[in-house]
Amino acid sequence: MSSIQGKDVRKLVVACDAGMGSSVMLASTLRRQLKGTEVTVEHTPVNSIPGDADVIVCHAGLADRARASAPGVALVPFQVFIGDPAVTRVVDAIKSGGTIDG
Amino acid sequence: MATPYTPTVHGTGVRATIQRFGGHLAGMIMPNIGAFIAWGLITALFIPTGWIPNKTLAELVGPIIGTLLPVLIGYTGGRMVHAQRGAVVGAVATMGVVVGADVPMFLGAMVIGPLAALVLKYADRFTAERTRAGFEMLVDNFTAGIVGAVMAIAGVLAIGPVVEKVTEVAGDGVSWLVSHSLLPIASVIIEPAKVLFLNNAINHGVLGPLGVAESVKHGKSILFMLESNPGPGLGLLIAYLLFGPRSLRPSTPAAMIIHFFGGIHEIYFPYVLMKPRLILAVIAGGASGVLTFLVTGAGLVATPSPGSIFAYMAVTPKGGWFGVIAGIVIATAVSFAVAAALLGFGRANGDQADDIDGTSTEKHDPSSSETAAESVPATKEA
Repeated sequence: MSSIQGKDVRKLVVACDAGMGSSVMLASTLRRQLKGTEVTVEHTPVNSIPGDADVIVCHAGLADRARASAPGVALVPFQVFIGDPAVTRVVDAIKSGGTIDG
Repeated sequence: MATPYTPTVHGTGVRATIQRFGGHLAGMIMPNIGAFIAWGLITALFIPTGWIPNKTLAELVGPIIGTLLPVLIGYTGGRMVHAQRGAVVGAVATMGVVVGADVPMFLGAMVIGPLAALVLKYADRFTAERTRAGFEMLVDNFTAGIVGAVMAIAGVLAIGPVVEKVTEVAGDGVSWLVSHSLLPIASVIIEPAKVLFLNNAINHGVLGPLGVAESVKHGKSILFMLESNPGPGLGLLIAYLLFGPRSLRPSTPAAMIIHFFGGIHEIYFPYVLMKPRLILAVIAGGASGVLTFLVTGAGLVATPSPGSIFAYMAVTPKGGWFGVIAGIVIATAVSFAVAAALLGFGRANGDQADDIDGTSTEKHDPSSSETAAESVPATKEA
């Protein structure tokens, strides 16, 4: 379990099984919501999360694999792909300051 | 996984391991889907029974499916293990299983590609400590060359025949299931596994390779449609829209669009995971869809990926639309009916407690997921 301050986030990674479907969708939504911040949003397969990720967002069903693939990085699991409160909290923390608990 | 009716929502080590293994299988196929689609389009258009038969262009079909696609899979599998060098020996080794085989060697490629890369990885580790300065390039190139050649030979003589036998047995098993009309039962396993994020593993790791072998022989395969049918998920989402917890209703139209037209099935998994008994609805929908495909003799030329209605239409062989569409429609209807009943037609299960924050946002604006995203209140359903 690690946490990070919203203002320290530089790279947010959205992970899914193949890194081609749902993560791309959520990443493009987040990219739009985080426009104007300095945060880069990437999408990757959950097995190959890049080492410089500050925050990982992935579905709760894949959280175990994300944790194994990138230990020590703040991980935010969510339940629904559209409008999940956990994801909204991440966006808020980045935009207006706050802690992201992973 | 032992009890498919009650998927564990909380992750276990076993589940993550199965997912990871399946993810590797799917990870060799999915980056190459573009090539599969190219093959599917060429096949659907130019083979003798296609839309515009053309002998010259139909010559592309065999080499692409028999050689190019397995080599791409072996290449990608090798790259997963040992980067670019792994990819190269993976591709070379795959040629070993490809030649002399009369089925498309997808499974063989998925075995030998990563295996060859693994061998090279160990060989590299061995030579790295023993190579003198200035000889690295020579040693590196020749280790890769020797490993590639040896693995290709092993592919022709050993791995190829074994995998061909396995593919044959698995294919026979599938035709036995088909001829005894038992295939719908597969949905009992497939649908629960799907919502546990094994969807890619099952479709691309298992069903796809078997389906391609069948498609090459018979011009189409039902196996491509077992996991990828968008009907069950659509039926479930419609049931949620009409009868689900009010707080979730506003998000479902966008989810439907993304699921049915965009083909991203993951979008509906959470709706099953938050009310696990709804797995019965997608199982029933999936099974009736498969039964319809069986009865109408439907099949697809290539794997529809993503599982969108557009991808389905693109890989449906000429004259096969009735069965394919019927299977999707019936799966949707059955899944909807069962899900609606399980949701108590909007009453009966105390979801009305969510009314307070849900009533004002009953909007039907499917075009914008953003709108939906902002208007959905917190999920209170557990």
